[in-house]
Amino acid sequence: MEDIALILVEAVSAIICFFLLWFMIKPYRVTGESRYIGLPLGFAFLGASYVFMGLSLYFESFRFVEEIKWLQLFTEAYAFAFLATMYFFSKKPSERSRLWLNLIYAGLVFAAVISYLVVFEDPVFALPIYKTVQEYFKIFNIICLAYISFYTLRSHASNPDPKTIWIPFAYLLLSFSQYSFLIWSIDSSYAAYIGAHFLRLAFLVIFLFVSYRAFYVPLEKPRKMETSNEETAA
Amino acid sequence: MKKLPRRDKMKIYGDLLSILNETSSEKIVLTRIQLKLNVPFDRLKTYIAEVKELGLIQDETSLKLTNKGKQYLREYKKVLDFINQMGLTYQ
Repeated sequence: MEDIALILVEAVSAIICFFLLWFMIKPYRVTGESRYIGLPLGFAFLGASYVFMGLSLYFESFRFVEEIKWLQLFTEAYAFAFLATMYFFSKKPSERSRLWLNLIYAGLVFAAVISYLVVFEDPVFALPIYKTVQEYFKIFNIICLAYISFYTLRSHASNPDPKTIWIPFAYLLLSFSQYSFLIWSIDSSYAAYIGAHFLRLAFLVIFLFVSYRAFYVPLEKPRKMETSNEETAA
Repeated sequence: MKKLPRRDKMKIYGDLLSILNETSSEKIVLTRIQLKLNVPFDRLKTYIAEVKELGLIQDETSLKLTNKGKQYLREYKKVLDFINQMGLTYQ
């Protein structure tokens, strides 16, 4: 019963993540700026990590369940690495920073491919203990998310607007979620495990809310412009 | 003096359409648009010709936005708002 609930949470998280992809790709499609590609890439990897987690819970006795768990670990870390890289380079649209950004993105994709191959090449590269590595990965995720939270919070502080506070808040929730997973990994606290799932869902719901409001709730300014145009025409 | 960041064409088109949309068609003065857009006059003329070719404005004299132009501007502003809400900047 608990497993079904957890699989359901993973499935819902993955669906929301892939749905968010549609919004996340818009800044890149409209502006054509490569620095925004980290946003859809990050959410694609995040969605894939929830799919892997769901699969590992669903096929508990499956032959490759350990490999799927490793894939989930890598994929989630790459998601946060893509997002953190994008935020780090988002304010520096110079030629040099663009080159670095493209190099890092290419490096991350290359590392992703290599790490996926390593997981399935067990006889050549013996994998270390999953539990220990999982804790290191969670710490890495927390560092990435703490940086993103700090960056978005600073961006909000420099240009205070009630609309811009939601995203840093959402990233903070996700970093607390990762922290709860770390606590669960260390002392097997069930409350931390459940809390981590709730916090993650809250993060995704906030992102859905922000995306919906940005693209479907009409902006105030264009309405005023339309009025001024009508006045001119009259 | 602080150097302004280099804008790409998308940003310039967006800013130009935004200025044209805010200015009533009777009051359109190219030099005023040039000042608002902060580009040299010859380049402004080129940009106007380009947005005309893209079908975003009706003609180069009235500079009225077409439906396609208005739709582009709406999408552009929504994306800018989204970028801003995501804690990112678009220079």
